[in-house]
Amino acid sequence: MSNKTYLIARREWLENIRTKTFWIGMLAFPVILTLAMVVPTLLEKSKSARLYTVIDQSGWLFESVMERAAVDDLSRILMLSAAERELDKLPDEIVSAGEQIRSGQADARAMAADVVNGSTNVLNESAQQAIAQWWSDLDATAAKAISGRLGKARYQQVELDSQSPEALNQAVLNEEIFAYMMIDEDPIGAESNSRFVSSNLTDTDLEDWFSDHATDIIQERRMQQRGIDNDTAAWLTSPMRFELTRINETGEESEVSATDTLRQWAPVAFVYILWFAIFSISQMLLTNTIEEKSNRLMEVLLSSVSPFQLMLGKILGIAAIGLTMLFSWIIFLILAVKFLPLLLGTGSLPVDLSSIVSDPSYLASFVIYFMLGYMFYASLLVAIGSVCNTLKEAQNLMTPIIMVLIIPLLAMMPIAKDPNGSLAVIMSYIPPFTPFAMMNRVAGSPPMMDYVLTTLLLVASLILVIWAAAKVFRVGVLMYGKPPKLREILRWIKTPVGMSPTLRKSDKS
Amino acid sequence: MSEQHSLILTDVTKRYGDFVAVDKINVSIPKGSIYGFLGPNGAGKTTTIRMIMSIIYPDEGEISILGQKNAESVKDRLGYLPEEKGLYKKMTAGEILVYFGQLKGLDRKPATKRAHHLLKKYGLGDHYGARCESLSKGMGQKIQILGTIMHEPELVILDEPFSGLDPVNSELMQHLIRDMKDEGNTVIFSTHIMHQAEQLCDYILLVNHGKTVLNGTLSEVKGSGDKGILLDYDGDGSFLKSLPGVARINNSGKQAEMFLDPGTDPQSILAQVVGKLTVRRFDLREPSLHEIFVRAVGGHTDE
Repeated sequence: MSNKTYLIARREWLENIRTKTFWIGMLAFPVILTLAMVVPTLLEKSKSARLYTVIDQSGWLFESVMERAAVDDLSRILMLSAAERELDKLPDEIVSAGEQIRSGQADARAMAADVVNGSTNVLNESAQQAIAQWWSDLDATAAKAISGRLGKARYQQVELDSQSPEALNQAVLNEEIFAYMMIDEDPIGAESNSRFVSSNLTDTDLEDWFSDHATDIIQERRMQQRGIDNDTAAWLTSPMRFELTRINETGEESEVSATDTLRQWAPVAFVYILWFAIFSISQMLLTNTIEEKSNRLMEVLLSSVSPFQLMLGKILGIAAIGLTMLFSWIIFLILAVKFLPLLLGTGSLPVDLSSIVSDPSYLASFVIYFMLGYMFYASLLVAIGSVCNTLKEAQNLMTPIIMVLIIPLLAMMPIAKDPNGSLAVIMSYIPPFTPFAMMNRVAGSPPMMDYVLTTLLLVASLILVIWAAAKVFRVGVLMYGKPPKLREILRWIKTPVGMSPTLRKSDKS
Repeated sequence: MSEQHSLILTDVTKRYGDFVAVDKINVSIPKGSIYGFLGPNGAGKTTTIRMIMSIIYPDEGEISILGQKNAESVKDRLGYLPEEKGLYKKMTAGEILVYFGQLKGLDRKPATKRAHHLLKKYGLGDHYGARCESLSKGMGQKIQILGTIMHEPELVILDEPFSGLDPVNSELMQHLIRDMKDEGNTVIFSTHIMHQAEQLCDYILLVNHGKTVLNGTLSEVKGSGDKGILLDYDGDGSFLKSLPGVARINNSGKQAEMFLDPGTDPQSILAQVVGKLTVRRFDLREPSLHEIFVRAVGGHTDE
C-alpha cells in the first residue's frame, strides 16, 4: 500500500470516528446488550413482594395452595443447591440434600414434599425438621436473595383488620394490597364462583401463580370424589414431556441450557450487527464523497493521487472503521463476561457469554464474514457515491441495494431455525448474501466445505466488486450533472483498463 | 527543449462523444513564466488544465510536463487549485494544510512546520486549530490557496484563481503568483478577468471552442491588433460611437476604447471630442486584452 493510500485511509478513518453517528453506532450494541442483561435482573430485584389477601370461604383451598407452592419453592431451592449455586445462603441440610440430588440418589420434589408434609420418605427426620424450620423462618427478602423466582419472594399474603368488601376494595385502591381473592364455598363444584379483585388486571402473575396451583388441587379433589386414587390421578393428568437433548459432533448428549439458546440465537445478533454496521456507514460514505465532489476537493485530491489510490484509500479507511467497531465490540464482550456479573451482584450472568467469546468457530466466522461483507457493500457504496452529486440522487441509487439488504433480514429466522436447510445453503452461495447467511448458520455447524467454498467465492466477488467500483469511480468522480443510467455504468465497467470511456456530451462539466 | 520548458502540449485533443472540448492545442510554457489561459466559458480551459494535471487523459496528442511524459510521476512537484474552492468542514486549518502537504509527499514534521509558517505569514497564525467550518469565507479561500503551495511546487496551475475572491485575497493571490515567478517557478492560470491577466502574464493563450485563437507573449498578442485610442473622460459620451471614422468602440461610461477606420486621423477625433467632454486622457496605444478577447471570440461571450 502506498503512502498516499494510507494518508487517505487515515483521514477517512479520523473524520469518521469524530462523528456522532459513529459513536452511536458503536455504542448501540454494548448498551443494548448491557441493558438486555442488566435491566430484567435489576427490575426483578427491585420489585417488592406483591401483597394480597384471601377470603377463603371453602376453608381449605388456600392452605392447600400454600402447601403446593411451598413444595414448588423448596424443590427449586434444592435444585439450586444441586447446581451448587447460592450455597452460602442455604443451610447445611439443604447443601447436603443438594449433593444427594446431584449424585442422583434422590428427587428434589420428593424431598420438598417431605419437608412440607412432615413425612420422612426421602429425608431423615433431623434434616426434615431443620429444613422445615429454616423454611418457615425465611422471609420474603431473604427468599428473594436466593432466587427472585420463588413464590415466597414474589407474593406475600397479609391479614387485614376488616374483611368487608368495602374495606378490601379501599385497601386495593390505597395500594395497601395488590389484590384480594374471594374463594367460593365449594370451589370443586361446577358452578363455583370465585373472584380476583385488583386495580391492575394486566399483570396476571399473581393470578396465574395462584390459579395454577389451585387448579391442580381441585383436579385432584374431583378425581378423589369419583374414586380415582392419587396415583391414577397423577397418571391421568401427566402431560407428554420431551426431554430436549442436543447431540454434538462427538456424539455426546447434553441437555438444552440457556447457554445453548444463546448459541442458537447469537448468530441472529451477528446478522443484525453486520446489517446495522453497513447501514450506518452508508450514509456517511455517500455524504462524504458527495461533499468532496461538490466542492471540487476531489480534483485537488486527484491532482495528488491516482483515482485508484483514492478509492482504495477510501475503502481501506472504511475497513479500518469497521475493524475499530468490531474490536471495540469484542473487547466489550470480554469485559462483559468479566464484569457484568459483578455489576449485577450475582455470581454469573443469566446466560454464559463466554461460550461465544471463547468458541473459535463463532468468533472467526463472525470476524471474517463481517469484514468481507462490510468491504463488499462499502465498495459498492463508494462507487455509487462517486456518480452522484446530491444526496437525493444517492438515495435513489441506494434503493436497489437496500432491497437486496432486506432479503437476509427476511431469511434470518428461517435460516436460524434450519441452519443447514436448502434456503440456508442456497443463500450462502449468493455472494451478496454469503456473509449474512454464513454467520446465521454458525449454530448449525455447517460443513467445512461450505466455509471454504463460500469464503473463496466471496473473496473472488469482493475483488470483482472493487475492480468494477474502481472503474466506475474513475469516471464518476469527475462527472457532474445528471447521474448516469445503469446501462451507462455497465459500459464504463466494460471499457478495457487504461482507456477512459467516452461520455455523453451532457456529462462534461 | 524540455530543459527550458515546464510544459509542452502537442496536438492535445479531448472529445466528449461528438463534442470536441479541446481541439489540437499546441503550447510550450517556458520555465519561470506566468502563462495566462484566456477564453470564454466553455472554451476548454478547465478541460485543458485537467488534462495537464492528468485528472483526465487526452484522446490524442502528447503532454510533456517537467520533462516527463506521465504527469503521475511528477504530481508531487505540481500545485493545483480548482475553480471552486472547498475544504473539509470538520478538519482544522492546520490539519488540512498538513494533509495536502503530505499528499504531495512531504513528511509529517516538515509539513506541520510549513503549515505554521504559512498561516503566520498570511495572518492566520491563531487559526491553526480552528475547524474549517468555523472560518469565514475569505479565510477558507486563503487556506485553500496556501494548500496549493504547501510543497513549494515547481509548476502551479490555477483554474480561475480570482473568481469569488474578495479584494484582500485577490491581492494575496497576485502576490503569490509573483512570488512564485520570483522563485523561478512556473505559473499557469486561467481567467476571463482581462486586466488581471494584463498585469500578471508574460504569455497568453487565447482559446475559443477548444481551438487556439492567439498564443504568444503579452506584447506579441497585443501587437497583433490595430492600435486604438484610449479616452478617459467626464460627461455624456453617447455621441462617440457615431463620430465619423470610428469603426468600433468599447465604452464603459468614463473610459472609451475606440478603433478607427483605416486612414482616419486620431487628431480629428480629438478635435471633435474637445469641448463636448472633459478629456482627462487621450492615448494612442496597443489594443487592450479585452478588445483582443472580444474581437477574437466574436463578441459572443457569456460575460
